[in-house]
Amino acid sequence: MARAFRPTTRGYKAELETHERRLLSQLCADVITMLQQRSQQVDPEPAGEAPDDEFAHFRAELAGLGAGLDEQQEHDDGAEPGLDPPEDQALARLLPDGAADQQQAAQLRRLTEASVRETKIADLRAARMALEHDPVTLTDEQAPVFGRALNDIRLTLASRLGIEDQDDAERIHQSAGQGAAATTEEFMAELYVFTTWLQETLFSAMLDVLPEDE
Amino acid sequence: MSTTAGSTLTREAQDLAEGAAVLPQRPYHVVVWNDPVNLMSYVAWVFRSYFGHSSERAHQLMMQVHTEGRAVVASGPREKAEQDVTAMHSYGLQATLEEAE
Repeated sequence: MARAFRPTTRGYKAELETHERRLLSQLCADVITMLQQRSQQVDPEPAGEAPDDEFAHFRAELAGLGAGLDEQQEHDDGAEPGLDPPEDQALARLLPDGAADQQQAAQLRRLTEASVRETKIADLRAARMALEHDPVTLTDEQAPVFGRALNDIRLTLASRLGIEDQDDAERIHQSAGQGAAATTEEFMAELYVFTTWLQETLFSAMLDVLPEDE
Repeated sequence: MSTTAGSTLTREAQDLAEGAAVLPQRPYHVVVWNDPVNLMSYVAWVFRSYFGHSSERAHQLMMQVHTEGRAVVASGPREKAEQDVTAMHSYGLQATLEEAE
């Protein structure tokens, strides 16, 4: 049985079962894979495509002819073209729009999404390192990083479980802990509730040690 | 007198300079939206540690997000607001940029 995160003289400590650490580490790896696939999709390696690129504009004009040409001219006048949000629900939740207006969001995404992806991948990798050891021990600097990784796992699981409002979240919490999980969904629900509990204990401990207000 | 004319010109130049400085720096809001996944303790911690809000202010903003569905957690020049929105996304919070009215 796992023991919650608690503050120590040198950071935070939680005792987790070997299978719990392994599962969390695997979930981190899964989210890393999702983010890397997105990176490959939107920033493909330009290797071997250089000769084609010289004619990209020409081909775009040929293909576009009427309406396409007008659009191209609009782009030339204004800002760079934007980047569309990921189609996958979980990825879209991990990499949300930064503006309500679609065009503004796409332009912002072109500028910032790569940095968000890189931060998340680095966080999840660091969390995997921390999960190699029992007890899981985090310094004051590692704690927020581990906490962000737990949050990304929870966002991903929540999206797969279809948690869209408070009632959905309640339902998942009620359904978990009823005994052995028989289906993938029940297993994911167990993982969601476990990760939620672990993150809650970590941030409660972190809030307790934040210096009081001046 | 030349001093008066000089001061009038200076004032006009000043107005122009201020106008030019104010326009591109129109303030932007950083809006955080409610979602059923992010924990209250987590959101309050992010508001305190990232924005440096007091515990009372962080709690107040967190509750505003929770009950009203959204809250303006910071305001400033566009570049700073973009940076803040990106940071909120790194923390997994749903945040958007909004031009101040």
